[in-house]
Amino acid sequence: MIKLEHLTKRYKDTLAVDDLDFEVRPGVITGFLGPNGSGKSTTMRIILGLDHPTKGRAMVKGKRYGDLRAPLHEVGALLDAKALHPGRSARNHLRALASSNQIPLSRVEEVLEFAGIGSVANKKVGTFSLGMSQRLGIAGALLGDPEVLLFDEPVNGLDPEGIRWIRDLFRSLANEGRTVFVSSHLMSEMAVTADQIIVIGRGKFITQGSIDSLTATAKGTVFVRAANHQQLIAALATRGGVVSEVNDEGLSVSELTSDEIGQLAFDAGIAIYELTPQRASLEDVFMELTAGAVEYGSSGVRHES
Amino acid sequence: MSLNVTLGSVIRSEWLKFRTVRSSITGVLVTFILTIGLGALVTSLLRAHWDTTDAARRLTFDPVATSLVGIIFAQFAIGVIGSLFITSEYSSGSIRTTLAAVPNRVQLVFGKMIVLVTSMFVVCEVACFIAFLMGQAIFSGVVPTASLSNGTVLRAVIFAGVYLTLLSALAFSLGLILRQSAATISGFVSILLVLPLILAFLPSSWQDAAMRYLPNEMGHAMTSITPVAHDFGAWSALIVLFIYVVALFGVATTMMSRRDA
Repeated sequence: MIKLEHLTKRYKDTLAVDDLDFEVRPGVITGFLGPNGSGKSTTMRIILGLDHPTKGRAMVKGKRYGDLRAPLHEVGALLDAKALHPGRSARNHLRALASSNQIPLSRVEEVLEFAGIGSVANKKVGTFSLGMSQRLGIAGALLGDPEVLLFDEPVNGLDPEGIRWIRDLFRSLANEGRTVFVSSHLMSEMAVTADQIIVIGRGKFITQGSIDSLTATAKGTVFVRAANHQQLIAALATRGGVVSEVNDEGLSVSELTSDEIGQLAFDAGIAIYELTPQRASLEDVFMELTAGAVEYGSSGVRHES
Repeated sequence: MSLNVTLGSVIRSEWLKFRTVRSSITGVLVTFILTIGLGALVTSLLRAHWDTTDAARRLTFDPVATSLVGIIFAQFAIGVIGSLFITSEYSSGSIRTTLAAVPNRVQLVFGKMIVLVTSMFVVCEVACFIAFLMGQAIFSGVVPTASLSNGTVLRAVIFAGVYLTLLSALAFSLGLILRQSAATISGFVSILLVLPLILAFLPSSWQDAAMRYLPNEMGHAMTSITPVAHDFGAWSALIVLFIYVVALFGVATTMMSRRDA
């Protein structure tokens, strides 16, 4: 279990992590979602004791990471898959990790096979593709059979088969009662991977919940097809309805529910042919949640998709 | 659970890391080639030209230092080994994996230092003894030779290896502070080559007083069988160089514990 208590990290004049305070529970996959540069990696580095927080603290199984006697037996992490000495073989990389925590070398062979890189174990990791490096990183994370696992953008560079493998792996780890904390900047990825999602932006906590609860809170639009669109637009405007899109087919209306729109049309005597609430897409929800919290947002031009 | 991270387990892990990268292996080979090869070359040339060598040079001839002349070049290879042992962890980013496995940073840097110093000590002593014995064998019959049965000679040969070992520790400590291979190696080379050049511009009385504090002069003093003018004696030079290494390593370890990885 991971617990952040008012975790804050300041680099000179930028606040990379701003008062994060949440818990990551065992038995489920928790997604850690935010745009690039929102502080996900910094948070994970602090959890692993690599960076020192400016304020607050991060606890793993009730202890600071630095106080764990044999950290690889308790926490497995994959931060940056390419952060390996390029001249060392995969097997020797894992053996060095294993021996530091007194893990038997037979375990190295087990995780190599499990990660599907047993046949390339003697190759220098500098020759590995990003996908193979990710598998090696996951092998390293599983080395000590830890109860808590952290993965920073683990699907980057994986082929579809690898992505499927990693999702199944997370699921089985969570089903075994382990704590699985996975970061991503892609909501669509989190939607199929995670049970619980924690959203941050610019280092700040934004929201937390299941995918369903997050999409439910987001504002959707309502598609309306009516006998007279001009009259309907005028009627909607009187109640604060915003028409975001008009075409021959109909209108997309936001800020009003389908009930309210139906009542308005009835009162104005406009016949309604179709009235369909549109659920916000995952990416819409994410954009809405993190609006204003994007470090490198495109200004001026909005790309409608 | 008894499966803890200990200094012993850190040493085992770091020893495996040290011997499984090419830079260490290459560095050790270069150290051997420079120490033994250059020693053999210089002693052979000296033997060939001994007949025509003038009396004054014959009088100050030091068969020990001459056979160990290769260490002047090998010290740079040693510096590279010491630097890369830590800076390659920073350049590749693997320091984060290392620290996630061994969060106690003092334990980690001591483990690394023990691995480095032990392996460098063995390598450098073997290289220096081979260079010495080969040099004396080449001299024998023509040029005056030295024998290990003489205490001063034995000390000079042992100290040559100790000098190189301490330099590897110095480079490692510098690397721990600077974290970049290029900066560390140029810093190390500057200490050995540039500092003496700067001192050469000082008035000679200052020079005489300051020169002895330079690491390269300590190497000179440690490997000479006769006292070197204006330098420390062999034992004092060893102690001062050792203090440098301990001080720099102390600063490096403190900084390592406080900084973000």
